[in-house]
Amino acid sequence: MTMTGRERVLAAINHEEPDRVPIVIGASNATGLKAGPYRGLKQLLGVTSEDRYIYDWPELGTILPDEAVLERLHADVRGIFDSFPAATLARNVARPAHSPFIDDWGSGQVEVGDGTWYPGVHPMAEATTIEAIERYPWPDMDDPSRVADVRAAAARLAADNQYAILATPWLLFPFERAFAMQGLETFLMNLALEPEFAEALLWKIAERCKALMGHFLDALADDVDMIKIGDDLGTEQSLLMSPAMYRRILKPIHADYIAFIKARTKAKVFFHTDGDVFDLLDDLVEIGVDILNPVQSGSGKLGNLAEVKRRYGSRLAFCGAIDTQHVLPNGTPAEVRAEVRRAIATLGPGGGYLLSAVHTVMNEVPAENLLAMVDAALEFGRYP
Amino acid sequence: MLGCMVDLDDLMTAIEDGDRDLAVELTLAAISAGSTPEAILDAMTAAMDEVGDRFQANLIFVPEMLVSARAMREAMVQLEPILVKAGIRPEARAVIGTVRGDLHDIGKNLVAMMWRGARIEVIDLGVNVTAEQFVAAVQAHKPDLIGLSALLTTTLPSMRAIVEALRRTDLGGAQIIVGGAPVNQEFATSIGADAFAQDAGAAVVVARGLLGLSGAMSGAPDLPASGAGA
Repeated sequence: MTMTGRERVLAAINHEEPDRVPIVIGASNATGLKAGPYRGLKQLLGVTSEDRYIYDWPELGTILPDEAVLERLHADVRGIFDSFPAATLARNVARPAHSPFIDDWGSGQVEVGDGTWYPGVHPMAEATTIEAIERYPWPDMDDPSRVADVRAAAARLAADNQYAILATPWLLFPFERAFAMQGLETFLMNLALEPEFAEALLWKIAERCKALMGHFLDALADDVDMIKIGDDLGTEQSLLMSPAMYRRILKPIHADYIAFIKARTKAKVFFHTDGDVFDLLDDLVEIGVDILNPVQSGSGKLGNLAEVKRRYGSRLAFCGAIDTQHVLPNGTPAEVRAEVRRAIATLGPGGGYLLSAVHTVMNEVPAENLLAMVDAALEFGRYP
Repeated sequence: MLGCMVDLDDLMTAIEDGDRDLAVELTLAAISAGSTPEAILDAMTAAMDEVGDRFQANLIFVPEMLVSARAMREAMVQLEPILVKAGIRPEARAVIGTVRGDLHDIGKNLVAMMWRGARIEVIDLGVNVTAEQFVAAVQAHKPDLIGLSALLTTTLPSMRAIVEALRRTDLGGAQIIVGGAPVNQEFATSIGADAFAQDAGAAVVVARGLLGLSGAMSGAPDLPASGAGA
């Protein structure tokens, strides 16, 4: 029997085998599409609608795909997003062309030629004291314009009952937000040199994250299946910090944050974390992560998908695993098929796998490869 | 301390622990107690070798490595005038940059820090560096090594184009090392780079291999071989 996308996803994240492996494309930034492959798809499909961007944020460059494209991609999940405060959006729309994009936290992106934007404004780069944290003008999370569209959008998706609902407020990720506020290198150094400051900064950020998350969850009511949070913890070969440092400083913050979410919703916690996080999977399970994303299969020990599934398959569902560093951009459609087949064969048994690219499908990925991924998922993803 | 010989093992430990103030203090004490600049430099190099080994063995991580590199850098500021006076030069020179189209710099910065710790003078061209800028820097600085970094898959063609542009110029024997998230040995070979380094620890081992350098000179304690990527 054919399931709806929502039934399919709910079965998979509850560790049951649906009719086929669900496909996640376009429902959030980390499972999203950049304009290159999207425009290729629109051309192939004869779709002529104008490009739209998630969070109304062209500088981020991640597409809010047209429904016709999502249907061709057999996407089983739809996204819900918060908004920048109305004043932040208006200020950025009105700012001089090519000048930095500054968000509601005061951190921002600079343009580096040809429409590419990169984090480059770090308003707390010099801060090392508790006083600096107390003095900082933190964003007002009670601004109603942040969640004004959430209620209706979620209710509409829930009423349609066709697709699973993945909801993501923009970067309510304490560790990554600290990078935005201080710069990656500066904050990592402060973790080692000024641990009290670093920890206090993370808790302050987490407090602001929870304030907005609370409003966001209120607006969603019960019309949500997965809440996406996260923090990049891994590198290509290892972790950004020692497991001991994670457990001492960041894990209590993540645990508190997840407990806050689970006290307010029945939705599953979808946790995004790049790199080889294999050594932290027990910790993530312990603090209540339900779905791991993006399962960066080209990195370190996480590349051993069979071992990941064997050890964690009963406790974690997985979303991702299709390589975006080599196979999707540079492989042939046949190589993409082989990658999909391998991921499904390894992660699919018993449910618990949502097929998706490892992170955003970047500009250099040919639309043909994206279609090859989807078509292979339909072909190899059937459960008996 | 005054009047005593300074234990250079303590200086090594201070750098390994990332204790900037102690590293500076011990360097100054070693200088005034009459340690030779070679011996002090050896201790610093050995300490950074140990840091690189620990990093490769997952005993320390990026925060600790950054902090050790900073301690080394600040201790080196104290030693530099004496090295110059004694005519002690870095053993090699490198030009490094993140390739055009890519702004990620932490991997490149870590390699630069570790190379400096291994007595390689580093000219850091920053991020989003074009082929023309690499070629101009090679002509201006006559390096022994050229380091190219990338994080984005998108910028691999840019890395290839830069290597091609470098190969069209007179490199004066300089060798090209590439690295970064999407780079592997196969890609490095396919674009004609001389070597691939997986991370900042490996970058030191690989650079020494290309340059025929052995690491810290005699007098420094033996280093554990753990995790070395050679």
